[in-house]
Amino acid sequence: MAIDGNKIIHAVMEGSRIRESKGIIPLFGVYLSIFSVNYYNKLSYEFERMLDDRKTEAEALLVHAAQECGYATFQGVRNSWEWEEIVKPMIDQKEDQIDGFSAVAVAFGWGDLRVKELIPGKKLVIQASGSYEASGYIDRYQHARSGKCYMLRGVTGALMDLLYGEDYPEGCFTFSAEEPLCRAKGDDYCEFIARQSSD
Amino acid sequence: MSPLNWQKELGRDGHRVNFSGQPVAMHCHHYNINLQKTLEDTLGEQGIRLLYRSAEEAIFENFKSLLTQYESIKTEKSKFEMAALMFQNSGMGIIRIQEVGPEGGVVVSPSNHHVTGWLAKHGRRHTPGCHFVRGWIAGILEAIYNRPLGYYRVEEHECKMMRQNECRFVVEERENGDRRK
Repeated sequence: MAIDGNKIIHAVMEGSRIRESKGIIPLFGVYLSIFSVNYYNKLSYEFERMLDDRKTEAEALLVHAAQECGYATFQGVRNSWEWEEIVKPMIDQKEDQIDGFSAVAVAFGWGDLRVKELIPGKKLVIQASGSYEASGYIDRYQHARSGKCYMLRGVTGALMDLLYGEDYPEGCFTFSAEEPLCRAKGDDYCEFIARQSSD
Repeated sequence: MSPLNWQKELGRDGHRVNFSGQPVAMHCHHYNINLQKTLEDTLGEQGIRLLYRSAEEAIFENFKSLLTQYESIKTEKSKFEMAALMFQNSGMGIIRIQEVGPEGGVVVSPSNHHVTGWLAKHGRRHTPGCHFVRGWIAGILEAIYNRPLGYYRVEEHECKMMRQNECRFVVEERENGDRRK
């Protein structure tokens, strides 16, 4: 059965309206928050600017933070009761989890992620034409010379880590992703390619 | 009646999530806390200021826009209530904005997302760590009192990340020359 993204979006939108007495949203196994994308974009791109002559390091740190987060987040997601009840019945084979994770990311408002190619254990290609990171970069700085969707890049690596890395929590950073195409540098869409880190 | 219709304000336009027409994203404590730790570890005090300023600017714009849309919300008390409701509905936690006036005051948070997230991931801190919440309070009060960004300084005197009973924030007006630092 194909993954029905609308079901997942519906579950997230409904679940995000439920919060416990401490004002925390526990959903899909994580504590969720809802906040302006401008906050996240300013943090990332100002951080990069502040490091100025260490831009490569800044980029690596942001991707690293996102990959570690994606790894923990989607591990929580796939162990949640919401996943068990809503997503798992739509999963026929291991690889379908990637579609389920992508649908959750879409539901979270990260962009319109599409799985373009998956070679089990080897390579994952995800495309997005509406990443909030690229949109935010364009709004703030117009044009980039390199890919700017650090969060989605890290998350792409994390999805492969979860499926094909060692068992959690040992498998993080088994894969790493690049972003050869990005709307912030004038491409029609952003593309993320994850491969084994040693490749 | 609730001063904020959350059901109406939180919606979608295709893959985009909007709150009151402005783009938002859902992120979990893993990402929020990883970003905070990355900035603090790499840039120290500068990173802390970036966290504070980014939260301050984002909520300032959002809340000003919200106040324009909810023209019937006129009193200080109802604006505080709307802000607290927004904090809670965003999954940021509980905040009490009560002992505050245009010249500053005290804001208390008995629980919040960043505390829960930090403690879950890293355990007890030895310094106050709610930089996001400090910036959020500054931006909210600047929007409510129609002050420019950077007008207020918010310090955290007690923090649950340090296993204190609650997070206690003291708000003061900055001296002119001290603004935007």
